[in-house]
Amino acid sequence: MPIPETDVQWVETARLGFWEQLYIPSMLAGLKTTIGHIFSPQVKTEQYPEQEPKMPANYRGVHRLNRDHNDRVKCVACYMCATACPAHCIDIVAAPAPADWKDREKYPETFVIDELRCIYCGMCEEACPVDAIELTTLYDLTGLSREEMIFDKEKLLSVFDQTTKAGTDPVRTRAGRLGAASDTAPG
Amino acid sequence: MPTVYVNDKPVEIGTKKLNCIQAAELAGVFVPSYCWHEALTVVASCRMCLVEVGDLKDGKLAMQPRVLPGCQTPVKDGTVIVTGEYDKRDASLPALPYDPGYVKGGAPGVRAKKSQADTLEGLLINHPLDCPVCDKAGECKLQDFSFKYGRSESRMVDVKNTPANKPQLSSKITLFTDRCIMCTRCVRFTREISGTAELMVHGRGHHEEIDTFPGKPLENKLAGNVVDLCPVGALGSKDFLYKQRVWYLKESDGVCSRCSTGCSIHVDSNKDIVYRLRARTNPEAQGFFMCDEGRYGYHFANSTERFLRPVAKVDGALKPAAWNVITPQLKQAFAKAVSDNAKLVVGVLSPFLTVEEAFLFATYFKGLSADVRLAIGPVPVVGQDDKYPKDVKGNAVEPTKFVIHAEKCPNRRGVEAVLKHFQGSVISFDKVAKDSVSAMWFAGGYPDKVAVEANMGMDWKTPGLLIAQDLFASTVTAAATFILPATTSFEKDGTFVNHAGLAQTFARSVKPPTEIRTELQLAFDMLGRRGLVQAAAIRAELAKAIPFFAGLGATKLAANGVRFELPTV
Amino acid sequence: MPPFDPLYTAIVIVCLIGGVLGLCAFLTLAERKISAWIQDRVGPNRVGPGGLLQPMADGGKFFLKEEVIPDHVDKIFYLLAPAVAVGTALLTLAVVPFGSTVPAPEPASSLAAYEQSQAEYQSHFSFVVNPGLDIGVLYLFAIGSLAVYGVVLAGWSANNKYSLLGSLRASAQIISYEIPLGMSVLGVFLICGSLNPEKIVAWQTDNGPYWLILFQPLALLLFMTSSYAEANRLPFDLPEAEQELVGGYHTEYSALKLGLMLLSEYVHLIAGSFMLSVMFLGGWSLFGLETISDDPIVAAVIKLVILCGKMFALCIFAQLIRWTIPRFRFDQLMNIAWKVLLPLALLNLICVMVVKQLGAPLLVLTVTSAVLVVGAGLFSVWTAGSVTNPKRKVVKLPAGIPAGVTYAS
Repeated sequence: MPIPETDVQWVETARLGFWEQLYIPSMLAGLKTTIGHIFSPQVKTEQYPEQEPKMPANYRGVHRLNRDHNDRVKCVACYMCATACPAHCIDIVAAPAPADWKDREKYPETFVIDELRCIYCGMCEEACPVDAIELTTLYDLTGLSREEMIFDKEKLLSVFDQTTKAGTDPVRTRAGRLGAASDTAPG
Repeated sequence: MPTVYVNDKPVEIGTKKLNCIQAAELAGVFVPSYCWHEALTVVASCRMCLVEVGDLKDGKLAMQPRVLPGCQTPVKDGTVIVTGEYDKRDASLPALPYDPGYVKGGAPGVRAKKSQADTLEGLLINHPLDCPVCDKAGECKLQDFSFKYGRSESRMVDVKNTPANKPQLSSKITLFTDRCIMCTRCVRFTREISGTAELMVHGRGHHEEIDTFPGKPLENKLAGNVVDLCPVGALGSKDFLYKQRVWYLKESDGVCSRCSTGCSIHVDSNKDIVYRLRARTNPEAQGFFMCDEGRYGYHFANSTERFLRPVAKVDGALKPAAWNVITPQLKQAFAKAVSDNAKLVVGVLSPFLTVEEAFLFATYFKGLSADVRLAIGPVPVVGQDDKYPKDVKGNAVEPTKFVIHAEKCPNRRGVEAVLKHFQGSVISFDKVAKDSVSAMWFAGGYPDKVAVEANMGMDWKTPGLLIAQDLFASTVTAAATFILPATTSFEKDGTFVNHAGLAQTFARSVKPPTEIRTELQLAFDMLGRRGLVQAAAIRAELAKAIPFFAGLGATKLAANGVRFELPTV
Repeated sequence: MPPFDPLYTAIVIVCLIGGVLGLCAFLTLAERKISAWIQDRVGPNRVGPGGLLQPMADGGKFFLKEEVIPDHVDKIFYLLAPAVAVGTALLTLAVVPFGSTVPAPEPASSLAAYEQSQAEYQSHFSFVVNPGLDIGVLYLFAIGSLAVYGVVLAGWSANNKYSLLGSLRASAQIISYEIPLGMSVLGVFLICGSLNPEKIVAWQTDNGPYWLILFQPLALLLFMTSSYAEANRLPFDLPEAEQELVGGYHTEYSALKLGLMLLSEYVHLIAGSFMLSVMFLGGWSLFGLETISDDPIVAAVIKLVILCGKMFALCIFAQLIRWTIPRFRFDQLMNIAWKVLLPLALLNLICVMVVKQLGAPLLVLTVTSAVLVVGAGLFSVWTAGSVTNPKRKVVKLPAGIPAGVTYAS
């Protein structure tokens, strides 16, 4: 779309004065800055393996699948995350919920995230209507094979157990049942 | 000419008997509705199609003081319809002389708009809003209309009704009772189209529910249509339940291959797997609906027992072979059999082939020698034609609204026409099956082995060279020297001619499994032709060669399978 | 030292090359550390104490990496280019005095006096591979300008548009900056009366501590600027500008060949710094520090350390400059060479000639240098910078043409 003429600002090049034209004083001023940094360093580097960083609560690391109060998976297999996912890394197979789960009709039979394909954008978390999928602050995800980095439902639930037990990522929301988006958050 | 004014736009309706919704559609204005369906009676229960109606006579416009349901209001010359979209009308048209008294109560369109919004709010009072787990989400009228005409917030503060779900409704269909908006399309369908009348409404007011009569579940051969008819996610197909979200599905137009009715269908697939078939409205073929046999009869295409690659019998054992190896072998072996004695060679073309495939194969066989006999493959026939609606005793009632044909193949007429062209008469399969033949090419494509074996009889004599092309193992493939995989009708382009001579073309919906070549491609290779195989090009060739199919060539077809129909062939 | 002794020469060559290559390795570490400090980072600190062994790791990596020779390259020139680049760079070191030197004696009036001075000369050891080469600096320029072949061959043979663009830029840049580079030191030669670096040092030390920076500050500035451009150092690293050209002329090089390419640049920097210290900063003299010991060996070592220290300081200065001044645009680069450095060098040369002709004291040259710098500044102000940065006419687009489309007018 062309930019309208009204939005265009015409800026003249700044006119240099005598000192600037000499170039040497400006250069010396620059050198003063750079050398100044050498002698008054403001290093903020964290020495990573020795020094563990403290991640902000909204850091987007490894996913987890939240459990509800009955330790069942909270997910209702609505595919919203898989639909929102720009990297197509979420694969869900839905099934009718077990007969004794009275509060829902659908649950994920399998729920697989390819952590290598994921770009950690957090869209799945935003899309989730029941706050079942969340990104934790676990940042040091490694593995020895590609297969190992494909997380299934059990692995994702174990991430939930691990992070809630360690206290690094407390459950952020309490929503657990479906409702209109405009409903006030239950609980 | 009778003229109707829709949002000030004059439309001539001719001699048609229309209601307001249809008249508005003629003018290009969409009036939302849930309960109204062209094939069903009008009940005007959903109130979604409320419009303002008036009468223009001698330059004087008298508007009704209240809004009326558009589906129930017939139009005549001078009827004025004002819909909720009046403010989006073509402003260049002159405005009608609305009565100032009427306009004082709200500009034209305001009443209709408000009524629609209020209707939606009412419909949503008890709706559970569980769209994320509802299979209808994405193609749900309630979603679409709420988005377009409704309000974004609910004022409902009380606890919603949560009636229990009814999975016992039918073996094929489940009812999510709380999602129902009581349009009663399903009830009317079972009463008017299938005539079996299993469904009813019980309860009053907010406690109305769809249900079956005790001990009489919804089991008839057209029952699956109620899922299509349901504008919300209340009726769900157990076959499709939770399989896919509808926005992943790719919809393409196809033709049902399970009986000679040749219903027009939508094929919904994702990643080359067919997940669902739905009826496509086509008054020429079947109307609005399709039977359950066809609807759930796509599973054979996804079966793991299909032949997935060509197989050749080497020293008595079947070994997989690559196409580029097996094609010259086939060509050589078959040509040799023909040169030995062409009279003992038979080409069998099944009624599951498309017209184009039959034409190319027949060209190949007759090109080798005019003495090669062409036979039509076994034509599966099961029982009698099944006509609907039925009365309580199960007898068909006139007028017939839907027929499930006994002939369970899509293209007998088409293949027979091809055979008649090439050899003047049609030889049936059981005749050649009894003969001793030296070589036979069996071009099948049968969706189950029962269809092949049903009328083969016990006196099947194994030919010396049998090239069998089929989807599943059967008596025929058991005796074959070469077994070639076949494709389903979802996996190819072509034309079927139904029982009434209606030719319908269809385009490929899904790709066949990797190592399968379509019959068309195979016939192409056998003929030694070069270039891309295009069904449309072969169709044009066919139309030129066979006068019976001349109509296929007369219509200009788009390159890639745009659907077209011929009323008669 | 005898005029030519193969053994001595071989030893000196080995020591020099070994020393320079080692120095290059640690210059890379210095470069990384200094950039880290300037940017408030830590820098390499994992290999050895404080990252001191990082150069070993880097070098080892250059050896162990896969030698990729792409299919599409012109193999002969592709393999030749790093050799040419590093060879020409190392050859320049042949005439660089890197420690105490005694210039070869002038022809004397009597044979006896000449033989005596010759014997005296041979009793000294000169820290230079090829002592007494009278065309010294000329040789340096000659070999230095061959360095462009390495770059051009690399860019051409790689068959890659980025490489080719980088090498085209390099050839234009190096050829342009040869001229101010040579022109700026002509004044030095006139003052000292010799092209021989040993004699230039001797001139600066013998007549008292008259470093030529005192008389030729402008020439020093011009020489330094040009030598950075010759060595492709920032702010003149257009031939390998990563943001524009991936890796420039060495895009297609890997492993040791890439190492050689990078090495040659550091050798150029070292040679340039040596020449700067020799020609303008008094060589091995440092305010009498070189005379504190009478022991000839200790004195030689002190002089070596002083000269190398000056060189090292200049290398560090180059690295400071790298993180201070951003890269020039190519037209600016050319404007600086042809419209600023070259006229200033010419005017400086004229001043030297006039002063020498009139026999005026050399201090006049200091004044003229200052006057030239200030004059150039005033001239730029007067012309509003339109000489080096010509005003281009801004054409407003007619309505309807998308922004970003410009006309060449």
